[in-house]
Amino acid sequence: MQVASQSRRDFFGSTSQGLLGIGLAQLLGSDLKTSEVLANDQIDQPTFNLQPKTTHHPPKALNVIQLFMNGGPSQMDLFDPKPILNRMDGKPYPGNVEEIGNQSTTDIGVMMGGQYPMQQHGQSGQWFADVLPHTATMSDDICMIHSMWTDHPNHDNALYKIHSGRLFMGYPTLGSWVVYGLGSENQNLPAYVVLSDPLGLPKNGTRNWTAGFLPPVYQGTPFRPTGSPILNLTQQYQQPRTVTEQSQSLLEQLDELHRSERPHQAELEARIQSYQLASRMQLAASEALDIDRESEEVHKTYGIGQSPTDSFGRRCLLARRLVERGVRYVQIFLEEQPWDSHVDLASNHRAVCERTDQPVAGLLKDLKRSGLLDSTLVIWGGEFGRTPTSQRSGKIYTGRDHNMQAFTSWMAGGGVKGGLSYGKTDDFGHQVVENPVSVHDYHATILHLLGLHHQDLFFPRSGLDERLTGVSPPRVVHELIA
Amino acid sequence: MRGGESGEPLVTSTLEDSRLWQVITHDEMPPDGEPRLSEQEIDLLKKWIIANQSMFTSGDNKAAPASIHEVLPILLLRCVSCHGAQRTDGDFDVRSYQSIIEGGQSGPALVQHSPDESLLIRRIETEQCPPTDLLLKFFVKRPTETETNRIRDWITAGAPQGNVVEDIATEQPDALVTRADREHWAFQPPKRPADAESLDTFIQLSQNKTGLSFSPQADRDTLIRRAHLDLTGLPPSVQQWKHWREAKSESWYESMIDHLLASPRYGERWGRFWLDLAGYADSEGGISADPIRPVAWKYRDYVIQAFNRDIPYDRFLMEQIAGDELTDHAHVDQLTETQLNQLIATGFLRMGIDETGSRTMNFVPERLKVIDDALKIVGSGLMGLTMECARCHSHKYDPIPQRDYYRLKAVFQGALDEHNWKSFKQRKLNYGTTSQQELISQHNPSLDKERRKLETEIKQQKDQLVTETLRVSFPNQAEQDRSDTLAALRIADNQRTLPQRRLVEKLQQAQLSDATQTAISVQQIQQHLEDLQNKLEGVQRRMAPPLTIRALWDQGYASPTYILRRGEHHLAGRLVGPGVPSALTDGETPFVYAAPFPEGTQKTGRRLAFAQWLTSKQHPTTARVLVNRIWHHHFGRGLVKTLENFGRMGATPSHPELLDWLAVEFMENGWSIKELHRTIMNSKTYKQSSRVSEKTVRGDPDNRYYTRMPLRRLDAESLRDSLLLISGRLDLSMGGIPDPVRVSSEGDVSIKPTPSGQWRRSIYAQYRRTEIPSMLDTFDYPQMGPNCFERSVSTVSPQALLLLNNQQVRELAQSFARELEQLITDQHGINQQNNESKLDQQNHWRHIIDLAYQTSLSRWPTEQEANLGIQTLQMFTNQWNGDASKALESYCHVLMNSASFLYID
Repeated sequence: MQVASQSRRDFFGSTSQGLLGIGLAQLLGSDLKTSEVLANDQIDQPTFNLQPKTTHHPPKALNVIQLFMNGGPSQMDLFDPKPILNRMDGKPYPGNVEEIGNQSTTDIGVMMGGQYPMQQHGQSGQWFADVLPHTATMSDDICMIHSMWTDHPNHDNALYKIHSGRLFMGYPTLGSWVVYGLGSENQNLPAYVVLSDPLGLPKNGTRNWTAGFLPPVYQGTPFRPTGSPILNLTQQYQQPRTVTEQSQSLLEQLDELHRSERPHQAELEARIQSYQLASRMQLAASEALDIDRESEEVHKTYGIGQSPTDSFGRRCLLARRLVERGVRYVQIFLEEQPWDSHVDLASNHRAVCERTDQPVAGLLKDLKRSGLLDSTLVIWGGEFGRTPTSQRSGKIYTGRDHNMQAFTSWMAGGGVKGGLSYGKTDDFGHQVVENPVSVHDYHATILHLLGLHHQDLFFPRSGLDERLTGVSPPRVVHELIA
Repeated sequence: MRGGESGEPLVTSTLEDSRLWQVITHDEMPPDGEPRLSEQEIDLLKKWIIANQSMFTSGDNKAAPASIHEVLPILLLRCVSCHGAQRTDGDFDVRSYQSIIEGGQSGPALVQHSPDESLLIRRIETEQCPPTDLLLKFFVKRPTETETNRIRDWITAGAPQGNVVEDIATEQPDALVTRADREHWAFQPPKRPADAESLDTFIQLSQNKTGLSFSPQADRDTLIRRAHLDLTGLPPSVQQWKHWREAKSESWYESMIDHLLASPRYGERWGRFWLDLAGYADSEGGISADPIRPVAWKYRDYVIQAFNRDIPYDRFLMEQIAGDELTDHAHVDQLTETQLNQLIATGFLRMGIDETGSRTMNFVPERLKVIDDALKIVGSGLMGLTMECARCHSHKYDPIPQRDYYRLKAVFQGALDEHNWKSFKQRKLNYGTTSQQELISQHNPSLDKERRKLETEIKQQKDQLVTETLRVSFPNQAEQDRSDTLAALRIADNQRTLPQRRLVEKLQQAQLSDATQTAISVQQIQQHLEDLQNKLEGVQRRMAPPLTIRALWDQGYASPTYILRRGEHHLAGRLVGPGVPSALTDGETPFVYAAPFPEGTQKTGRRLAFAQWLTSKQHPTTARVLVNRIWHHHFGRGLVKTLENFGRMGATPSHPELLDWLAVEFMENGWSIKELHRTIMNSKTYKQSSRVSEKTVRGDPDNRYYTRMPLRRLDAESLRDSLLLISGRLDLSMGGIPDPVRVSSEGDVSIKPTPSGQWRRSIYAQYRRTEIPSMLDTFDYPQMGPNCFERSVSTVSPQALLLLNNQQVRELAQSFARELEQLITDQHGINQQNNESKLDQQNHWRHIIDLAYQTSLSRWPTEQEANLGIQTLQMFTNQWNGDASKALESYCHVLMNSASFLYID
């Protein structure tokens, strides 16, 4: 197709009006060709599918595994040690409490020292709390971003922000944008898979993987760890197998009759294909989810078969099996928001670490061993961090409040610099003082690693080109990239 | 250096604040179509800005404020919650120059020329105001140092009142929107094209130019099914189908259209499209609790009725935009239903996401978001003008200055005032007709008692379920732990101690365990709970609806409206007054408004004036946008493809003269939407076959010239409602509280049946933003964020999986089979079924297949289809071990999956 050989800019320059639809169809290159052959009534409307798309520039990473730490892990207790904080433990906050940044100032307690001993690990000498012994062994593969910040101290809004770049409901998530921009390498599995905790949905539920205003084909598909992995994947009623097979054959014949009387209707062809894909998916999904095919050794690496790592370990191993099969974006969640420790932080955080530390490290090791880590970007982090002060709850002061002004996230594999500690917070771990990374910067960097340019990944809607990273230009944090 | 209309100097002391730098780096400028600046050029500019920073530093430290309007925005933002319309603490009101000068109980607020002696400054600088403990209660933040200094400077300068006049349209030609700007086709009022006879003339003319022609008329069966699904969202019953296919009259088709338009099912379908536009939802959205809107359904019912009664569109808009200014409801003794509907109609402006009722999300930016959503729906949905860009800067492509966005905002300021805000909890009215009030006092007290009793019982049973679940899974657990678990559940999850978390986790494991899933004692409680829940829902259904109305109303006072630079809530710029987008006017006509009830309730009358302007026959876009929408729903594509954007970045109309003709006809026919349907559906264009021939595919590959009817898939509601109808499980009762949904542990969201074991139409299902029914969702039911201007249509495998594997769809296939058997019995008597001979069995199958096709597809099967059916039924029967009923279920299930069923020719 001639259009496809022009750059987007040239194309816009040479056309005058009404070009949004065409511009987009061009972005999705391959689809136009299909419609050309099939002459569709909808030819001037873009088709949305999961066929692989061309990147804007050569990618460093092909897939993403997002280990989402819902609730907001505490940076100063896990990765970003603050000796002054320890010395000031129990003393009042030296500044104006309103600076803490939360809307309610009435229950702000006193300075609270780090809750666990910290050590430096690996050649890079990055800090890890002793509640993360396994992750610490991967220190030299991990790229720490200590200077993340966000715009809202409430979970709901901060979750919208970290997932969709906006503080409000209804916008597409990072995973949706990625599969919209890249499609998928495996047409027999969903492109964007969500592995949520069997114990329950995370805070904000299914909105953590919504396609927002993007077509629903780009929405995350939750896989359940037991039983039928996708809703309606297997028959929910009893019927002899032969009847099911015969039904399929009847349906094919009826649809073929229907279609043969209606030539040149691309829509009908697509429908027949969607039914074929549905049956292929039944096989592919069951195969992908069958972790019994993995050796005992592998199970052990992830902590599968032992408490309390089993559940998270399974999801990490599944994630590896899915990216191995070309699934573009895998998101792992914990139930509710276990990191949200307003009370009893020391034991609550320890418990979450015990559940996740070994599986996370196991995932990194396993990916590294198979060489997949080079092309798989693993991202770990929550929606915000925690305050240097304790918070009153009833009469006790044992937890920390939300902190939108600084938090730590990390990345590994997929073309990032292992062993790098990026950005700095102030002496209390309260605010970013060096190399701030906004959520938009974070997203732009991830897109960049995947070969997408944040500015060229857009969706026209109500006369606006919507982008994940909004209107103000973000900064791709090149310093993180190997 | 002075900058432009957005009120900011292009270059300032810092690079980041420089507007010039922003528009370039944010890709706002140059406009698309112009080459981007090269890296070198950008770099040069950057150096120039930085090199000259010192020069501009003085310019950045603006001169002392010369008018109250340079400090009033700060006072509104930081002080008005306690010193304004809702509270006047210390008798001090900051809303006007007079009241500021007068001060309050503690004396004058300021001493001219002496900020240090001014109480206003002292209170702010000592942080007595706003008081720390009230910041969150009243959703305010402290003035920044810069802001306090502005107030200081103003006082130092003698606290001048200044003589700023609000920026409004005058009789002077508008300088910002030129005559050339107004020449865009959509900004000219529609004109009736000369010598037009019918819709078909325009289509034919465009076809002739390219040597094309209409396809033949579709056959009768196709027309019957198409018209029924199109107007009512349901296929015809077998009786209806027979009636119309056998009708002898020449005008049978026109009669059928009239008949369908008169059906109450019509409003349920076409009202739904309007609800998409309005963004109708039964929950507020925003925060994760997603609170339910208990009476939003009154607006849904209003819309359905308005469509069924064919309320003229101008009237319909008038009510939705300014219903509260049409009648002085507070001063009417006995309200009529029409008057009441005017208030319910204003719910149109209240449908977007609103989180301002939450404990922490009611700050000015969140309020502005609610206002922005409403303006977006009015701008794009009613006027075809995308105004969102102009919230932050003048529009890049369309002649919409930032000023016009804020003038429009000022139109709504009397009702949606971020400085005199009502959260969604407070924004409701209580009005009803006398008969409604009587109903409530007669029925509700006893029902309410019953309701409370059931609620208590449900609570107890839920606890019981927890205890029993634990007992079954962990028989050795201490009783104390079980009661501690109940206690832990009452604490917010993030406030639990580790032992409490562990207990809850244990419970979650127990809920998933096999022991629990199979325990009879647990199942009994679950059953009991469900029964109680159903009883409760029954009681709620029987209760007379409360008088509460989710309305929008003018509060009689509007805070001044300022342009917000870059759309930032704290960067107030020029003062503007109410007005309409200049591009849609001649640019020389002031916006005139007056209080509608000078003797009665105080109201600004701004929205009333706006609604009158919007529904004038001279309005360039109102009628065009609506006829284009209706056309879109009939043909799957608008004459202007971008339904919500008629501006320069929108699509150009494929048939501009036809669009104008339809718009003018529509207005001359008294803005009747039903008449518009007749015009469209009685046309040759609409009645064409959808078959694509070699000739048309070559000459008109994308059907630009309407050389055929497009083939279309049933949309989400039509699919679900049709499945219910053919299975005999559709309950046609209308209106009232929405049908609740249920979320399974697997995340499947399903709509609960009515007490009769049937389901109502999908439009009556509860639309909670976080719990969208899975079946509808899978078939492209829209997400309301805040609304949906146009649904996307996808063809994806989860749709196939749902129709093939879902338990509920299977149940409907069973019901469909039972319906068919019943019909056969009714028609042929019982003997037929008992006859065992093979020929008769085949005849029997043939009858059933005929009936199945007639019911689900409104046609006879072809010979080939019938034979395939007979063969398959035979085989199915064998495979089901001779169970013919089961065989029929499996067959019906296939038909429900077939392309013939899912697509409309």
